[in-house]
Amino acid sequence: MTKVQLKGVRKDFGSFTAISQIDLDIESGELVALLGPSGCGKTTTLRMIAGLEVPTYGHILFDDDDVSEVPVQDRNVGMVFQRYALFPHMTVEKNVMFGLKVRGTPSGEIKQRLEDILDVVQLEQFRHRFPAQLSGGQMQRVAIARTLITNPSVLMMDEPLANLDTKLRGEMRRFIRELQQRLGITTIFVTHDQVEAMELADRVAVIFDGVLAQYDTPEALYQRPNSVEIADFMGANNIFDAQVSNGVAKTAFGDLQLDTDTKPVRDGTGRVLLRGEAIDLLLGEGEASQNVITGKVTAREFFGATVNYTVDCKGETIIVNEQSRRMVDVGQDVWLTIQPQRIWVIQDAA
Amino acid sequence: MARRQIKTALNTRLSTFQKIYLLLIAGFILGPFIPLIIQSFAFRWAWPDMLPSTWWLEQREKSLLPLAWDYVLSPYSRVWEATINTVFIGSVVTVICLAICLPAARVLAREKFRGKAAFEFFLSMPLIVPEAAIGIALLMIFISLGLAGSYLGIIIVHLIPTIPYMIRMLTAVYQGLGRDFEEQAMILGASRWQVMRLVTLPMLLPGVVAGALFTFLVSTNIFLLTFFMGQGKIITLPTLLFSKIAGGTLDASAAGITLVVTIPGIILLLITERFIKEEAFGKGFGN
Repeated sequence: MTKVQLKGVRKDFGSFTAISQIDLDIESGELVALLGPSGCGKTTTLRMIAGLEVPTYGHILFDDDDVSEVPVQDRNVGMVFQRYALFPHMTVEKNVMFGLKVRGTPSGEIKQRLEDILDVVQLEQFRHRFPAQLSGGQMQRVAIARTLITNPSVLMMDEPLANLDTKLRGEMRRFIRELQQRLGITTIFVTHDQVEAMELADRVAVIFDGVLAQYDTPEALYQRPNSVEIADFMGANNIFDAQVSNGVAKTAFGDLQLDTDTKPVRDGTGRVLLRGEAIDLLLGEGEASQNVITGKVTAREFFGATVNYTVDCKGETIIVNEQSRRMVDVGQDVWLTIQPQRIWVIQDAA
Repeated sequence: MARRQIKTALNTRLSTFQKIYLLLIAGFILGPFIPLIIQSFAFRWAWPDMLPSTWWLEQREKSLLPLAWDYVLSPYSRVWEATINTVFIGSVVTVICLAICLPAARVLAREKFRGKAAFEFFLSMPLIVPEAAIGIALLMIFISLGLAGSYLGIIIVHLIPTIPYMIRMLTAVYQGLGRDFEEQAMILGASRWQVMRLVTLPMLLPGVVAGALFTFLVSTNIFLLTFFMGQGKIITLPTLLFSKIAGGTLDASAAGITLVVTIPGIILLLITERFIKEEAFGKGFGN
């Protein structure tokens, strides 16, 4: 159980600045994702917390102790690399015991902890295999076991789900989540995939160009991003320019009534974000009362459980996402409606 | 078991054309040895005979001097002395070469620095400059240093053409190794020395073995530099062979010596092949 804090951390590599300034508080036992496009500095941040890089300025605190200068061997952290970095010349057992062996733990204790951890990650029957004989999910479990056996105060992971196929991904997600909850270990992982961040993390720190852009719960990031870049990165596709006055947003396709309790707005310019799944698509005009947008379906994408409709509304294109309980044909005239509290407005800071 | 799987996989995957192609290549490599082996047992073998007109064994009793294999295996041929010298020099060169090239390859594979490209070019210079040029230039220096005709002198000149190969091979292995493994070991609490001993060296082993094998083979085959530096005082298999065939004829004893020259390499290859194909290394690292 360790609280991790980054205070005014900056990292330069020669003349290149990887991280300009980051302040981050990670609560004890929390699972936090560092999310951002490649090259944004998220991996550098993780490496600084691990002790593989030393910050140029600023401090890293574990439970209020400054560990910025503590060498990696003494920091007692755990890291699961993206490609697992299992030692190919050692069996599963030897890989898992490595951390305790090099620390000179008595062999009786090593044996005991090995049995415990192999039981936790359900790898007993693979103990004498070499990494090359394991599947991706098994390799990841070995990597996690090898890290957890040393009782690290912080667990770090680099793109934990990126190398797995869809089915295994769900399995590993539940496994990591459950293990993390059970052990209550502070966990930080890095990813460039917003889905991976949302499905695993308690809180997500979005990093753009070496700066912390937003630090919030997955739901807040998705529904209430504080900039267009974040909305865009979180997969939003309906973002439109609007003129806001008296709680109404004027857009190219009509006026939208806003709910000012959800989001206080200023009069002036802004951008409205309409989540595709928050929009109802109606086939008759009379069914909706407010925020009605008329349009015509121009394209349909079928994903199995859901369908995306591309709707042309007075020159703007709105994507509507709905459960595929029915199919609306391309070319059909439709009426879109959205509840005021589901509209999010992004305005530049005053 | 794994090897058998690979074999069946090869059999099923290769087309007839590919099989014939492989056989042809094998023929080109092994073919020249057939006349050599026949020659080593011959007494008289003149063109256009398909086989020797007189065999060595027929003449064995009549001749006063040892013939063919009798000569090769007798002390007169100095084959034994040359073999010992060759293997000794080859082994020492390999060890020194490894000690020089391991740290150099690590830096070349992982670091970027000013003039790296130029440095890599200069590393391959010994492969471009003719051996005779290096040999004569060095001989002049070594004579004045008193190194000519000594083992040390020969070992030093053998390092010149072997280092470029070794560095290249080890750089490639280091590039494949990645920093992940060493960083992971450090995070798990391993000291620098533990990382080197438990992770880096075992993982580099296939490359180290391959590089060492290559260095040894190159060293045992160097004629010109050995000839210059050995000054006739130290003979190795290539210089011995050259003195045998310098007259332009290949008699049975020369053919025998030629076959002996190939033996150290073949034995080494068989030993190292086990190492390289070890199950844990046969498949890729990581994924």
